[in-house]
Amino acid sequence: MTAPLFLLAPPRSYTSLVNAMLGQHPQAFGLPELCLFNVDKLVDLWRGSTGEISENGALVRHGLLRAVAEIYCGEQRTTTVNMALAWATLREEWDTGQVFQEIVGKIDPLMAVEKSPSYSMSVKRMQAIHRAFPDARFVHLVRHPVAQCKSLMAINDGAFSLKMEGFELGEDYALLEPQVAWHDINMNILDFLDEVPAERQMRLRGEDVMAEPERYLAEIARWAGLRDDDEAVEAMMHPERSPFACFGPINALFGNDPNFLAGPTFRPHKPKLPSLTKPVPWRTDGKGLMPEVVGLARDFGYA
Amino acid sequence: MSDPASPEESGRKRLSPAPLNPETGRPDATLMSPQQRALRAAMMDAFNAKKARRFLERQVKHINVNRDLADGIKFLFDEHGRPPPNAPLEDIIDERRRIEYQIKWFEGVLLELNNRLVRVKEVEDYAFEMLSRAVPEE
Repeated sequence: MTAPLFLLAPPRSYTSLVNAMLGQHPQAFGLPELCLFNVDKLVDLWRGSTGEISENGALVRHGLLRAVAEIYCGEQRTTTVNMALAWATLREEWDTGQVFQEIVGKIDPLMAVEKSPSYSMSVKRMQAIHRAFPDARFVHLVRHPVAQCKSLMAINDGAFSLKMEGFELGEDYALLEPQVAWHDINMNILDFLDEVPAERQMRLRGEDVMAEPERYLAEIARWAGLRDDDEAVEAMMHPERSPFACFGPINALFGNDPNFLAGPTFRPHKPKLPSLTKPVPWRTDGKGLMPEVVGLARDFGYA
Repeated sequence: MSDPASPEESGRKRLSPAPLNPETGRPDATLMSPQQRALRAAMMDAFNAKKARRFLERQVKHINVNRDLADGIKFLFDEHGRPPPNAPLEDIIDERRRIEYQIKWFEGVLLELNNRLVRVKEVEDYAFEMLSRAVPEE
């Protein structure tokens, strides 16, 4: 069975685009966000978790249902999604690693490519991936903290940051602070990658992939043991051809970032890299990035 | 595989004020001090109030303009107003019918369960009454 490739990154780090691009490689299969390793057993995706920042709404299941419908039935319709529900019911007591292994086995010899940003919220979740797939490869995708945080704050007022308890605490105030989430998620990934052999991990700046896609996609393909010829690279330049690069049937609409689903076509561009030392736009007190965030961003190659 | 990585072992500090929960590996606000929890709760209240206000603003806009709730799902359609290829109108109608059918079915089951509950309660009450009458004779 071909070992899968996982993208690890905070949300809003070009993961949807890069995942769909790699998934279009003739020897790969790009999956939607399965979110399987968020939980231990498959049924837990339906049980949900409790609390004010619970993440297990119905949307978390859309990726899995769409993937099963596509892989087992060859199309995503309401009827095939209902079949996928029955498929999941039969496996509800399974360990989610086992469920993922079955999916990977089904698309073998194609290499499964997946990214669920929720995996990087906890080292334990990433360790569960590694237990299920000891030979898996991991791409740590990074994005400039200011650009990532701005993008994060534009969605539901930065609600994701709360899931990571990303806030600043003063003597008499608490303030939502997305750079805490950027920092802590990347730290989680670095902690996890300590246990992955160097040859099976790679770090990339999302901005570099956007600016020089052919070069970096070919580089990833070579590292992953896939073809890197012109035909393969050209295929990867068309993420919009993925069966998951659009909204799904009415009973499983999402499975990915809605912005990506609405406009999956890739246009090469060179993203601007903001300053690491100026005030950040989401704060009104004129403060900038925290020293720890600046230090980590510099480690990632941002000046 | 080597020993599991953890922030303690790696020395990589986190910035979140909430300590990591060793069971989930995620920051856990319940492990903070009461004062910190209160500050966080105030922040959450402000966040939720803002969210609710925005939601209400959107709803009021729908009602005021043309009661067109479909505006809320406009993002699903392309620039020509075509629905997503995977979700033709027929499927949307079928899904609506299916949900209506399931609601009716659940309502039927609920009614049946309520009737059974009433009957079982009657039997239970009668049994207790009989028992209470029988005890003094013993």
